[in-house]
Amino acid sequence: MPMLALTQLFKSYGDVPVLKGIDLSVEQGEVLALVGENGAGKSTLMRIIAGLAPQSSGTMDFEGKRAPQTLREAERAGVVMVHQEFCLAPHLTVSENVFLGRELTKGIFTDRQAMEKASADILAKLGSYVSPRARLQDLPVSDWQMVELAKAFAREPKLILMDEPTAVLSGTEANQLFDRIRLFRDEGGSVVFTSHRLDEVKAIANRIAVLRDGQIVRVARASEISENEMAEAMVGRPLSEIYPVRQKTKTRGEILVDVIGLNSANAVIDASLTIHKGEVLGISGLVGSGRTELFEALLGLRSASCHSFELNGQRRALPHAREAWQLKLAYLTEDRKGKGLLLGKSLSENIALTKGALSGRNWISHRVENLDLVTVVKEYDIRAGNYNATAGSLSGGNQQKILIAKTLATDPDLVVFDEPTRGVDIGAKQQIYEIIARLADAGKAIVVISSEMQEIVGLSDRVVVMRRGQISGELTGEKIQESEIIRFAMGLQEELTHV
Amino acid sequence: MLRSLKTALVAAAMMIAGWGIEANAADAVIGVSIPAATHGWTGGLNYHTKRTIDTMKKAFPNVDFVLTTSSSATQQVNDIEDMVARNINALIVLPFESDPLTQPVKAAKAKGIFIATVDRGLGEEGIEDLYVGGDNPQYGRAAAEYFKKKFPDGGKIVVMRGIPTAIDNIRIEAFNAALKGTKIDVLDMQYANWNPDKGFEVMQDYLQRFPKIDGVWAGDDDAALGAIEAIKQAGRKNVTVLGGSGMNKVVKLVKDGHDMVDADIFYPPTLIIPAIELVTMKFATQAPINGRYVLGSPLITKDNAVEYYFPDAPY
Amino acid sequence: MSDVTLNTTGAPTGSGLTITRTLEAMGPLIALILLMIIGALTSGTFLGAENLSNVFTRSAIIGIIAIGATFVITAGGLDLSVGSLSALVAGVTILFLNHSVGALGSGWLLISAGILFSILVGAAAGFLNGYMIVKGRVEAFIVTLGAMGIFRSIITWLSDGGSISLDFSLRDAARPIYYGQVGGIAVPIIVLIVMAVIGEVVLRRVRFGRHVAAIGSNRHVALYSAIPVNRVRILTYVIQGFCVAVATVIYVPRLGAATPSTGLMWELEAIAAVIIGGTALSGGFGRIWGTVVGVLILGFISNILNLTGFVSPYLNGAFQGAIIIIAVLLQRDRSQG
Repeated sequence: MPMLALTQLFKSYGDVPVLKGIDLSVEQGEVLALVGENGAGKSTLMRIIAGLAPQSSGTMDFEGKRAPQTLREAERAGVVMVHQEFCLAPHLTVSENVFLGRELTKGIFTDRQAMEKASADILAKLGSYVSPRARLQDLPVSDWQMVELAKAFAREPKLILMDEPTAVLSGTEANQLFDRIRLFRDEGGSVVFTSHRLDEVKAIANRIAVLRDGQIVRVARASEISENEMAEAMVGRPLSEIYPVRQKTKTRGEILVDVIGLNSANAVIDASLTIHKGEVLGISGLVGSGRTELFEALLGLRSASCHSFELNGQRRALPHAREAWQLKLAYLTEDRKGKGLLLGKSLSENIALTKGALSGRNWISHRVENLDLVTVVKEYDIRAGNYNATAGSLSGGNQQKILIAKTLATDPDLVVFDEPTRGVDIGAKQQIYEIIARLADAGKAIVVISSEMQEIVGLSDRVVVMRRGQISGELTGEKIQESEIIRFAMGLQEELTHV
Repeated sequence: MLRSLKTALVAAAMMIAGWGIEANAADAVIGVSIPAATHGWTGGLNYHTKRTIDTMKKAFPNVDFVLTTSSSATQQVNDIEDMVARNINALIVLPFESDPLTQPVKAAKAKGIFIATVDRGLGEEGIEDLYVGGDNPQYGRAAAEYFKKKFPDGGKIVVMRGIPTAIDNIRIEAFNAALKGTKIDVLDMQYANWNPDKGFEVMQDYLQRFPKIDGVWAGDDDAALGAIEAIKQAGRKNVTVLGGSGMNKVVKLVKDGHDMVDADIFYPPTLIIPAIELVTMKFATQAPINGRYVLGSPLITKDNAVEYYFPDAPY
Repeated sequence: MSDVTLNTTGAPTGSGLTITRTLEAMGPLIALILLMIIGALTSGTFLGAENLSNVFTRSAIIGIIAIGATFVITAGGLDLSVGSLSALVAGVTILFLNHSVGALGSGWLLISAGILFSILVGAAAGFLNGYMIVKGRVEAFIVTLGAMGIFRSIITWLSDGGSISLDFSLRDAARPIYYGQVGGIAVPIIVLIVMAVIGEVVLRRVRFGRHVAAIGSNRHVALYSAIPVNRVRILTYVIQGFCVAVATVIYVPRLGAATPSTGLMWELEAIAAVIIGGTALSGGFGRIWGTVVGVLILGFISNILNLTGFVSPYLNGAFQGAIIIIAVLLQRDRSQG
């Protein structure tokens, strides 16, 4: 008997149908991956299984009985959800978060020691050694994901639902997570997860279900379906090359930015770098190696000092935040919800925000902004409920496109894309790659920071690798391959013979 | 942090005012605890207190003073405890409220400190050695008598109450009692908190509500000033306004003649002066001083106004 | 695919009285209308022109201050010192006027100089607050709480705990500022409406206003979007100081004096008006016309309590508190989308 069985599940929000007749089963001791474009219905399906939302019609059985309808019932039955948007309290410590709502007690007092020990054990099994006493707000985002996972495992689940679990993890951390998942599966537990990283999906899932437009269009064993076939099933049409072809004849343009000896707190140590017009410079490295910090330091978003900084050959001081924009140097943050977009405001306002702040013109013309919005929606193929939607109501991929539109509206000479395709579905990814290629061909200087090795290899003309705040290596041409990048990222001396 | 900030501010203000008083080898230290200058009357109180202390220090250099001003009953309790810890010999206190201050003052008495209470007593009888007070029931009666005399055949008056405290209750009770059986019609009593801005607003609304008003008892002179402006703006004639407390501005109006104000009730903040003088003399000259002194609240009229007029005082 | 109904979301133009579509926006207005109905039913004089003018005029003082507070709060800040600042500005302006009679006479030249003087003092105080908060990186709550104490202490010291009065010769020259009328409408009401209109336009249609809301919505996003965050935040406090000064200029001629109770609790009333009106206390969204409605609600509540006799004066405070809570609840009627 399958652990979870969904039969003819329908779900509509108002008159908008989201799930149109889902038939799916999850066996005991199995890892099932759900893939699909943003808007296909993955998150909705997950939420229904987790008990966060009721289905409109159809049945759902868990271990042969009627499946739990509320979150509490679900958790008690052993169905636990790990969210993409962390459900954590930043002011509390790691162990407090792991046991939130289920504190261990000694008499009437909470048993802090027991909780800290238990948290440390669970985290260690996940491969994380973060201190259970650390306050969440002091930890980097990848540790948050680990705590979120630890929280789930602490509930002794039978079925774990994960939404984009590796979105903020580095390669090694993801591997550790997969090991834990395999262990869990071998012990009889089941996992359903969604991910946009198709290579990972193939690596860890037993079976893969492809969701498109609210229906399951294909279910296959992981060994029987390739990444390309997955992607094609997701979009419903054959895919051409994922990474766009660049104009080969272009030689590298002149130097736009030349910085020597950049330092910022303990995050960036003596970094020197040149950025050329017309090229895509990839920045790689493990999470925590200082890639984001380097460019935030360069563009005035964190305090820094340097030996020298030249822009278009002119020596000058490092710009502060607003100045950088005025000098046509743009930074597109990896934290689109926290630092990129005003989630409560409209799309038109978000798109016009930076451009307006630089324009020096005092009056806001709603008419012009609305026209700009129409143009952006068409050009970037943005899916929103209506033009008055707030930025917060859009899916991750669409939000990213809005952020890109907002950044490019200022017509910068340098654009630093920090994790541009994190949490973005394959269709949108392709579009973003197109944009990057076009910008570079038009003579802009483009920097792409990414934790997805493939992305770096596929997009970059040149790659700079960082390790522990320093630049550990630079690669061009043929040398741009995953093995070389890993070598510099981990500080290994000899070339790896195989990966 | 907030408390230390406030304490620092109070200390700074005291220093700026020119007299950081510290007890050092003197024959006696007298602690004085009064409410802070939050409205006109307490402003005057603070002024007279400081002046008297300065005068006494000059006259009797062997006596030292510690002064605290408190903005609430709770703070006053803390301030008194602090002073007791500094080993004062006597405590002159104008309690913010009688009940909450009873315990700390009793504790001070138990340490052998000479207790003088001003303006109002404590929750229990017999704690203080010296009492200098105003006569709140007389205050209310004086106002009632004034209107009875003004309108012997009856009249319509409105009343403004003060800050909701025991004093206000006592005055109003006495006022109401004195008006029983007369033909004076009290149309309404709303709170103006002895505040000119509130007095202005309440008066405006009274004028809207009652087409005929013969007299206004504003509770005290601050509220009366506000009431006067409102009546002026509305252009109403033949309205008599009575305040109270003897603010110099209003006494001047009485003295010079004013179409609305021709009387005031004397209840000045200067009643702290005899208290301080008496206690100082007890320690400086070893004269035995005990007892209860209740200062009257006479009605000030044009005839005697000049006696009650202190143009240089802030109140 | 998805519905792409094109709705040009035009903002309210000009006057802050344009009514928006959602129930949430209408909340404070509904509360005001309900209150006026209650007033009309319980008192024959409530709807009289004189009474309405009285209340509107009285409310203008807090109202003008609250307009400044709307900017501060929308940017995510807070200013608790406005009441004490009013007392301080009132006091020093009166002193300035009294001392300058000799040099400037006692006509419009002096009055104008006095107005300019008080605006300078108010704006400077606002700047000091803003600087400490933004550059000094001290919490707004703490800085303005301290400023509240400092301003009040200074004026108490200057006045020896008493009142500071305008010279009699100046009283008549200054009277029209509060008691005068233009076209049958009291001067303070006109000033309030003009400032409200300007405020609403700035908040909705001018770049600066958008920056204020963006900063209150998410300060990081504002910084990452080339907005001059520090400059804008400090400016909101300067605007608040300016508004306090204007309100004080209107207030002084009413009694012709600054008293120790001037400004007492004004900051709470101003902030309450802002919140009732629909501006979010945590920042990010401001509604000036809502603030004006909020101020009127507060003014009408005490007016109705004075005009009617049936609520014991002991319970006035409870009545006021209840109405404020209801007004805010009416706004939050719709759950967040």
